[in-house]
Amino acid sequence: MSLSDFRLSRPRTLPDALKHLSERAGSIRVLAGGTDLLPSMRQKLFEPEHVLDLRQIKELRGIHETEQGIEIGALTTLHEIEHSQLLRQQYPVLVEAAKTVASPLIRNMGTIGGNICLDTRCLWYNQSLAWRKSCGFCIKKDGNLCHVAPGGTKCWAAFSGDTPPALLCLNAEVEIVAASAIRRIPLRDFYTGEGDDYRRLRPGELVSKVILPHSSSGYRGAYRKLRVRGSIDYPLAGVAVAVKRSNGHIEDIQIALTAVNPAPVLVKGLNIFLNNGGIDESAADHAGELAARTAKPLTTSALTPEYRREIIRVFTKRALLAAIES
Amino acid sequence: MTTFSIIGKPIAMVDAAGKTTGAGKYTDDLSLPGMLTGKILHSPHPHARIKRIDASRAEKLDGVVAVVVGSDAPNPYGILPVGHDEHALAVDKVRYVGDNVACVAAEDEATAERALELINVEYELLPAYFDPEESMKAERDLIHDNKPHNVEKDYHHVFGDPDKGLAEADHIEEARFIANEVTHAAMEPHSTLATFDIDSQTGKPGRLTVWSSTQVPYYLQHKLSLVLEMPMSQIRVIKPLVGGGFGGKSEVIPLEIISAVAARKAQRPVKITYTREEVFWAHRGRPRTIIDLKTGVKNDGRITAVKARVVQDGGGYCSYGVVTILYSGALLGALYDIPTIQYDGFRVLTNKPACGAMRGHGTVNVRFAFESQLDELAAKLNIDSAEIRRRNLLQAPCITVNGLRVQSYGLPECIDKVVDRSRWKERKGKLPRGRGLGVACSHYVSGAANSIIRSDMPHSTVNIKIDRDGGVVVYTGASEIGQGSDTMTAQIAAEVLGCSLGRVKVVAADTDLTPIDIGSYSSRVTFMAGNATLRAAEAVKKQIAAAASKKMNCDLVDLVFRDDAVRRSNGISTGHVGTDALARPAEGAPSFSRSLREGGDVDSSSPTVSGRVEGQILRGSLQQKRKEDDAPKTSMSFEEAVVAAIDFHGALTGTGSYAPPPEARGGKHKGGGVGPSPAYSYSAQVAEVSVDEDTGEVTVHKVWAAHDCGRALNPVAVEGQVIGSVWMGMGQALTEEMIWKDGLLMNPGLLEYRSPSSVESPEVEAIIVESIDPEGPFGAKECSEGALAATIPAIANAIYDAVGIRLHESPFTPERVLAALRAKKNAKPLNLTEGVDPTSPTTFREHGGALWFKGKGPERHEGSVGRAPSPASGEQ
Repeated sequence: MSLSDFRLSRPRTLPDALKHLSERAGSIRVLAGGTDLLPSMRQKLFEPEHVLDLRQIKELRGIHETEQGIEIGALTTLHEIEHSQLLRQQYPVLVEAAKTVASPLIRNMGTIGGNICLDTRCLWYNQSLAWRKSCGFCIKKDGNLCHVAPGGTKCWAAFSGDTPPALLCLNAEVEIVAASAIRRIPLRDFYTGEGDDYRRLRPGELVSKVILPHSSSGYRGAYRKLRVRGSIDYPLAGVAVAVKRSNGHIEDIQIALTAVNPAPVLVKGLNIFLNNGGIDESAADHAGELAARTAKPLTTSALTPEYRREIIRVFTKRALLAAIES
Repeated sequence: MTTFSIIGKPIAMVDAAGKTTGAGKYTDDLSLPGMLTGKILHSPHPHARIKRIDASRAEKLDGVVAVVVGSDAPNPYGILPVGHDEHALAVDKVRYVGDNVACVAAEDEATAERALELINVEYELLPAYFDPEESMKAERDLIHDNKPHNVEKDYHHVFGDPDKGLAEADHIEEARFIANEVTHAAMEPHSTLATFDIDSQTGKPGRLTVWSSTQVPYYLQHKLSLVLEMPMSQIRVIKPLVGGGFGGKSEVIPLEIISAVAARKAQRPVKITYTREEVFWAHRGRPRTIIDLKTGVKNDGRITAVKARVVQDGGGYCSYGVVTILYSGALLGALYDIPTIQYDGFRVLTNKPACGAMRGHGTVNVRFAFESQLDELAAKLNIDSAEIRRRNLLQAPCITVNGLRVQSYGLPECIDKVVDRSRWKERKGKLPRGRGLGVACSHYVSGAANSIIRSDMPHSTVNIKIDRDGGVVVYTGASEIGQGSDTMTAQIAAEVLGCSLGRVKVVAADTDLTPIDIGSYSSRVTFMAGNATLRAAEAVKKQIAAAASKKMNCDLVDLVFRDDAVRRSNGISTGHVGTDALARPAEGAPSFSRSLREGGDVDSSSPTVSGRVEGQILRGSLQQKRKEDDAPKTSMSFEEAVVAAIDFHGALTGTGSYAPPPEARGGKHKGGGVGPSPAYSYSAQVAEVSVDEDTGEVTVHKVWAAHDCGRALNPVAVEGQVIGSVWMGMGQALTEEMIWKDGLLMNPGLLEYRSPSSVESPEVEAIIVESIDPEGPFGAKECSEGALAATIPAIANAIYDAVGIRLHESPFTPERVLAALRAKKNAKPLNLTEGVDPTSPTTFREHGGALWFKGKGPERHEGSVGRAPSPASGEQ
């Protein structure tokens, strides 16, 4: 499969990049690591006239400590996150999630910004042009029907990034820049829950960094990922758990899911577990139930939805107990 | 005991360096001046009549040189003489999503792809068949008009009296097993480059040369001749390096013909390389198989009868299907002593890509069912599962009830070895909860005794030429596809001739240069091409020996060829020349060997100088002539002997061929030609697994695999083949499965079709068992396929040992395992949709076991928005 022709821009500064982006909004795609964009372009999911390669922009790289917390530049690779001592000590759940992304080779290229902005996935969507044509296309691309929920008009393509559930648990924020403005929003407000329009990013905007607040530092946590293979695979279901304890009491619990909804989602109603000395089996079971109810898996990927929901239940329990133990 | 100098030693593959450095050339690495890129338009419909193809817009696109369609090459072909049902490009009908409709040859790939969008095809949709059991009921809209009820072929074999056998049995087990569809997933996608020479006399396209990723250059030459209506002598097929075949390149794949048809029309070289998706559509993998199996045993575990009804979901074309369905029945025999067998096999057509030959051709899925059922019977009878296998061994040599001749039979030793190494007796049934051991056996042919082309020609022929420089060139049609064919050929030639491996050059798989060999499939190369090489080398050796015996004034039988020298066995040592002896040349013997061993750095003052070292061959031989008056030698260097032989005989060439002996060719019953082999390999395996009872995830920790390969010509290559077989079997057992929806393959890529990664690959302890076959070259048999089939049931039986569930459907995905665990515990059933319950799959489902898509799927819908209506869909 060939790549369609496009104009490649490789700006060296962020202002240059944003200028390009605003001038060509609508006909441009942004390339950070390229591990998702390029295969998708070959499948003709995107046929942009321009590709904006951010990789020359140094200011988008690196992990820095600031007054507000730890800032991770959007171009920081998943490999760098995986091996950051700072993150490992203060935000271990993020490191654990980053470690599970795809394969070592992909993590050398793939970036945290790319993982946050990752296009939603569906077996009826991530296919070649010839394949999609043979089933009459779908809502997310070129068509008007959904094959996953026949009769529906909502796109259920699943968000399948590994790091966002961990970032949600850590109350992360993202910085979004445009030629004319900078804004900062909680990551949980970044996703729409719609498979075909999954993120709140306006034309001309770019995610420039993700910020982990100091208040989330020291959360113990765990990430459990359902995959058929021990490497390469996207998550078929994923659970991140982060727990903060002080003086033996549980001060905060956050649980977030991925790959079972069109957005990564936080599980609600966990306050009942707070201020206890610990989490026992039955409490963990209960948390698992809450998570399973939050999950809305559909036939967007391998393994049945029923199974993936069950695994959310089991993995939530396991991750919670592991987080408490750690 | 004979000792060998070349065989039996772990030797690096002769083509390893090019593959590991990247210098090696595969077909897609090749390029010719003026070469065009070919791209194929595939059918978007599973079953449709082509009413009209309008390629005029595509032809006008700048950069497009030619567009070819079915009528450009309408002759039907197929790998089997009974199955000539394919066309290079569809002539009247398309039979699966992905069927080949047209091909564009253009200056570059992007242009060719754009041109495909401009071809307008008008289809008349036909009802399509996806489920073989439904397909068998079809009365109209048949997939091929000459195949009633869409049954490609059915066979009904009865050997002995199975009903009586069942009546005499103390226990009978009966169950339905389903093995879902898998494909080869070779690393190299298929690729073909075709070019026509201009005939110097007529100025028209003359001879055709094709470079292709094929396991069978000769068959490709034959089918090209058929479709292009050219004599085979005008077609040259060359096989460059091939990046894995596993059966997927063992027949003529559409692109191989299409590229030649396009090159003829474009009058330019055309290369087509499949995308991974196209590889999945070309397929020819292992068909999804329903097996209704019934086995009767006595209380002591002895089998009295086996009845099997097998339905294979063959896809839209015959391919190797008739052979596949026969193998499934025939190789019920030749592993154990089974006195009575009834076999009913149905190869059924459906509107999906054609299935064909895949590693362990036809035997693997039935072996999964059989070995699982034997394990169930062992549990019922409270007999150890290794022991029940021992109680049903053949008494080789023998001829089985279905006419298969078994000579060497290393299965008992294989079982002993894996039981011993896995510490089976101490550990079986005593591992912690959730962890278990399972055993299973398998076997495979060392080449089919009857070739598919119904000809009396030898199955393999090998030529050897030796020149005065002492370089040995072996010409063989056998196809190196990564399995070690070239290395095996070089080793056998070097061993027979007693020369070093570095002297031997293998020229392989080029139909202009190499004699006919029917290719690399059914694990035939070591046995058949190996025997032909051995005979060719013996023929040359005889000529060398005749000359050498005169020189040494001794009988032929006294000569020993070894370590680049020819010696009298009563000379320096008695036929057993070690390196020490070599380093001390016998009195009067020229010191060539030492010179050679020192890299040709020769003292020019030496009175005896070999022709090669001096670069003056004539002078060398003259010197030898002069020395004839000297006292008889006791030793000659290999080169010296070669030069002597050429002086005596003229050219030094030899040829050898191999045809299986008549007594190995099987019974006379209809279909009895498939299954017989001159020798069978044997395998026994123990798998150790653990099962997560909350998630159903299975981890394979270790597999002990003992394989009887007759003799290991190159032990490291044998181990590699065994490990690869186990790994591929594990893929089919746990993760690999082609998933369909309305004839659409849902996972046509290596991201969603999940072959195991290195992370979950277990340790495999490969144990070589050598039964020394009486007819194999140096006693060797096959080692590349037989081990695969045991892995799947070994894992299934280990899962049973670990958590007590019996899985009847592969692959054992976590959802199937979890569903079975729930069913066993009578726990709240996991609503995994009908049929996923692996304890009783009663219906055959289009979607694969996982049944990701419940109920009736979305209608195909047309006239979608956003993108201009596709030309293909505009007419409905």
